[in-house]
Amino acid sequence: MKTNVGSGDRGMTSLLSGERVSKNHERIEACGDLDELGSVMGAFAAAVPDALSPLRREIQSIQAELLHIGAWVGTATDSAAAATLTGFTDGPLEGLEASIDRMEEELPPLASFILAGGHPAAAWAHVARTVCRRAERRVVSIAADAIPPQIIPYLNRLSTYLFVAARFCNKACGTPDIPWKG
Amino acid sequence: MEGLTRVISVSRLSAGVFAVALERPAGFRFQPGQSIILRHGQNERSYSISSGPDEDRLLLCVRLIEGGALSPRLIGAQPGDIFPIDGPHGYFLFQRSARQAVFVATGTGVAPFLSMMRAGARGFVFLHGVRDGSELCYRDEMSAAARPYVPCLSADPIPGVYHGRVTGWASAHLAPGSYDFYLCGNRDMIRDLTILADERFAGSRVFTEVFF
Repeated sequence: MKTNVGSGDRGMTSLLSGERVSKNHERIEACGDLDELGSVMGAFAAAVPDALSPLRREIQSIQAELLHIGAWVGTATDSAAAATLTGFTDGPLEGLEASIDRMEEELPPLASFILAGGHPAAAWAHVARTVCRRAERRVVSIAADAIPPQIIPYLNRLSTYLFVAARFCNKACGTPDIPWKG
Repeated sequence: MEGLTRVISVSRLSAGVFAVALERPAGFRFQPGQSIILRHGQNERSYSISSGPDEDRLLLCVRLIEGGALSPRLIGAQPGDIFPIDGPHGYFLFQRSARQAVFVATGTGVAPFLSMMRAGARGFVFLHGVRDGSELCYRDEMSAAARPYVPCLSADPIPGVYHGRVTGWASAHLAPGSYDFYLCGNRDMIRDLTILADERFAGSRVFTEVFF
């Protein structure tokens, strides 16, 4: 499979189900934000120290899940193409929730708002969290019955995961969270 | 799945194109339009499957590239030679709809359409762009299934055969309407036909597979 070049030069592109749409179509916008989220997650994974390699692997599995979500978001409902996609189950959401619980067990309770930052890995996790929220808003803008029902809860939970992962990285790396002194 | 396959036969289709028949590994399933990766040493290349999904062998339609990574080795392969195989891959799948399907290939881009036809697709428009008539591989099979079958020769003209590129034929002869375009072949064709679909055939769907 090689890369297509030039057929989008006039502002149009194809959904996976073949429909030609403007590049600012709501599904393309959402796919773009999911793509950006996956990229930022890559930066997060790259910044995670070797001592936290299980976390890095977990981030990479989430990146793979985001590609899966992107395929669903980029495919028209009830199309023949949708029938070829792998089904979306509750498993990924449950996996995120288990990870959130596992990391939170090692964290002190939050006493105040915190500023994004700290260790570089934590800083990237916060960037990913905000991109995730935007991706979630874009996906929500697609009619709710036009995507598998597990996707929006997954993105909602992923934001929480990234917030907790940021704190987890700071603690594991000996970098304190930065409290907001408003 | 990853596994091994054994060469059954190699046969020339034209000066620059040949067919390879491979044993189908146990449990290997695919959908028409999908491809496999073949490996030889450190080199690997992706090839669309041209056989039907119910056949007991895998057929490939390969363009010989002098100095290429795999095709020179493949054309010299003997029955029984073993190659690592990985697949199936890809989403270039035929999706039935109320729209007229228009299959457009350049050169060996005919391969996935052969598989779709062998799986039962009929009544599609088929445009096959090649340089000269000797490269119109599988003409008889495809012309029996297509309505119409349109060979498009970009170099040496033949009386009674369209002389020009597939985009030229589509622009001049395809009636106004919405179609399902399936485009497989070189980048220029795919770009030009996609733009044509956007500008002239609004509401169409476009599926693409870039070969070269």
